[in-house]
Amino acid sequence: MRKYLLKRIFYLFLTLFIVATVTFFLMKLMPGTPLQNEAKLTPSEKAAILAQYGLDKPVWLQYFIYIGGIFKGSLGLSFQFSDQAVSYIIGSRMGPSMQLGGQALIVGIIFGIILGAIGAIRKDTWADRLATVLSILGIAVPSFVLAILLQYYLGLKTGWFPVAGWSGFAYTILPTLALAASPLAETARFIRTDMVDVLSSDYIELAKAKGLSKFGIVYHHALRNSLIPMVTLIGPLAAALMTGSMVVENIFSVPGIGEQFVKSILVNDYPTIMGVTIFYSALLCLLLLLTDIVYGIIDPRIRLSGNGD
Amino acid sequence: MNFKTVAKVTVVAGASVLFLAACGSNKSTSSSAKNTANWTESAELPTMDISKSTDVVSSNALNNTNEGLYRLGKNGKVTPGIAKSTTVSKDGKTYTFTLRKNAKWSNGDKVTAKDFVYGWQRTVNPKTASQYAYLYSGIKNADDIANGKKPVSSLGIKADGDYKLTVTLDKPIAYFDKLMGFINFFPQNEKVVKKYGSKYGTTSAAMVYNGPYKMTGWTGTNLSWTLKKNNDYWDKKNVKMSAINYQVVKDASTGLNLFNSNKIDFTTLSNEQVKNYKNDKNYLVRKTASTFYVELNRNDSDKTLAKAFKNQKIREALSLAINRKSYVNNTLGNGSTVSKGYVSEDLAKNPTTGKDFTSDAYVASAVEYDQAKAKKLFKEGMKEIGETKLNIKLLSDDTDGAKKSTEYIQGAWEKLPGLTVTNQNVPFKTRLSRSQAGNFDTVISAWNADFTDPISFLSLFTSDNSYNNGKYNSAAYDSAVKKAEGADANNETARWADMVAAEKQLMNDQGVIPIYQQATATLTRNNVKGIIYNTAGSNYNLKYMSVK
Repeated sequence: MRKYLLKRIFYLFLTLFIVATVTFFLMKLMPGTPLQNEAKLTPSEKAAILAQYGLDKPVWLQYFIYIGGIFKGSLGLSFQFSDQAVSYIIGSRMGPSMQLGGQALIVGIIFGIILGAIGAIRKDTWADRLATVLSILGIAVPSFVLAILLQYYLGLKTGWFPVAGWSGFAYTILPTLALAASPLAETARFIRTDMVDVLSSDYIELAKAKGLSKFGIVYHHALRNSLIPMVTLIGPLAAALMTGSMVVENIFSVPGIGEQFVKSILVNDYPTIMGVTIFYSALLCLLLLLTDIVYGIIDPRIRLSGNGD
Repeated sequence: MNFKTVAKVTVVAGASVLFLAACGSNKSTSSSAKNTANWTESAELPTMDISKSTDVVSSNALNNTNEGLYRLGKNGKVTPGIAKSTTVSKDGKTYTFTLRKNAKWSNGDKVTAKDFVYGWQRTVNPKTASQYAYLYSGIKNADDIANGKKPVSSLGIKADGDYKLTVTLDKPIAYFDKLMGFINFFPQNEKVVKKYGSKYGTTSAAMVYNGPYKMTGWTGTNLSWTLKKNNDYWDKKNVKMSAINYQVVKDASTGLNLFNSNKIDFTTLSNEQVKNYKNDKNYLVRKTASTFYVELNRNDSDKTLAKAFKNQKIREALSLAINRKSYVNNTLGNGSTVSKGYVSEDLAKNPTTGKDFTSDAYVASAVEYDQAKAKKLFKEGMKEIGETKLNIKLLSDDTDGAKKSTEYIQGAWEKLPGLTVTNQNVPFKTRLSRSQAGNFDTVISAWNADFTDPISFLSLFTSDNSYNNGKYNSAAYDSAVKKAEGADANNETARWADMVAAEKQLMNDQGVIPIYQQATATLTRNNVKGIIYNTAGSNYNLKYMSVK
């Protein structure tokens, strides 16, 4: 187990190192500098501005400084916000994205399990078909379409929820719903397929024969066994949600990291683009690692190391 | 507990969460309180450091939270600011400002002449890395300091005691008083700048204010902040608003939904939205001193094209072929107007007659649409240069709006016999660097005036200006601009005549092809009064704003 972990952590760092290197050199290939008014600046002004961002040094040196900085938690200065560290931008923008992602994940998984279970138990009835249609819709309708519809009908027309903004729990509801649709649908489909299998297995027949209640069977036997494979789904889902939805955050004016990422790309804020990319990669790698570890713990059939210890 | 119970519990729980949330959301509605308003910006606030501001959002925020010697009022006219009175020497090179004694910073410090000296020196100091220090050009030694040749202390600004400020210029600057209303010339509090160091101006707390409002709630990267009435402001009795809440809204339909649900009092409209709201009582178009024009590269590496662009008839044909009216109304549809020339409308008025600059310098043939004449001139021009076919590339940005523009112009130009046009839509920065390097055939450029004077436009096309990408070269134009900036700087009428002559020369030569003047279509709640809009520099002055 320990050996396995060390190996995985080594690969994690290797991946991040490659990501950082590739992004760094890709960004260097792009045009653009922090200079806003290039034609009007004197050479000494230009030099001062470039020096402030460390761009006066040769590229290979910039690269080593950048990689060295990452170990110290520094990701450079933003071009867009003057004198603002990229790490501060990421730090201050992460909260709302994490919150929305977390809420969407919880809502999506809980309701997805319920929807999936209904489908499986009432297989081939109208309830099953409805659940299937709902989950197909959840996958097919892009989150931004849902976001616009939610904002228009539940925000503007009925006035039940705030249209956009970020000042309290009420403001999180519509973006959470918009984000929850896709994990909900995926969970529902996953649970339904898995539970249909489980429900037709021998030990369920035995439980039925013992005279257990229908809920007892579903809850204690069928659902628990179906949940184990869910873990593999949650890791990537969590990563996708927590890194912030660029479009949903934009529509609801949420000060999240996804929204900032889009803006950074639009204004050629390379240090922020690099920083956020590395941060996203780190988060994804970490969540995948966690998934594998958790999976090994809850399902004894999976062995994390090959040597059988 | 059976399955039905679970379903019921879920539905009830879900419904109650929705209900509770709905109750919570009705707390804030806009305009309910008489002296507050909810405003929007369409981009983040990148800085509150006067020396570092380069964008419109920070310029607006700084203009309303700080104040310079003057404050820009209606039609770009200056109104009193920190300066109580001003005397100008006969040669127009020395300005002496007497400052009011009751001006204070929001931390209680007095606003003194030293704050101006410090702020100006900080901006021109190359070490500060300000991107707008070039606006100081003309103030004694400013250029040499920017080039690192002279020490910062040699800048032509001196404090004589706390309330007397003397500014020395290299040469008279006709629009100097207007510049004093621009944020780049505002004072800075040395104590506060030193206290926060590199954090100065990166949050609303790491800053100090001497204007009508002070800012709260800006963390440096968030999307909302508030302008609160500044009780230390010298003229606070004329400030009626107690708070203006800002929110960044980037999505146009979100802005419209917020406006329609009364959560905000101001939003900008997208082109599609304008169609439905043109007759709304809150519809308001804000003109900007910004002209979009096509530059033709006279130094094109393609020798045939360079020759073509040096031909007057071909240049005129390319201009006459564009139906600007149809383009502005049908393709843009955002309140933008057909350019009456290169200098924008509503920027400056004739000092004697009060007529707009664009009327005085109007050259109809340079901005007209006449396809038949265009075809005729094009044929003649092609004959003169001995060609039958031309292949032009048209460079522009890669935004949706820019793509529509290039498609429109491409369509219009290709009606000319023997002309094919290829569009090149590239990212903004690529377009700029290619323009400056002269690596283009034709390019759609835009210029925003830095200050409310035609020279802010006209200085661009002198033969040695770094923004003259198409290498327009006219001795008459150069000398007219030079006179306006030099010999006639102290003579208002002569200077006006020089600038009119320059514009007419540029238009008669068809040195550039003006297309349209940009405007911003907005919904602005019609009970909000007293906002002063400016076409150049900071967009608006909220000092006298009120809600009826």
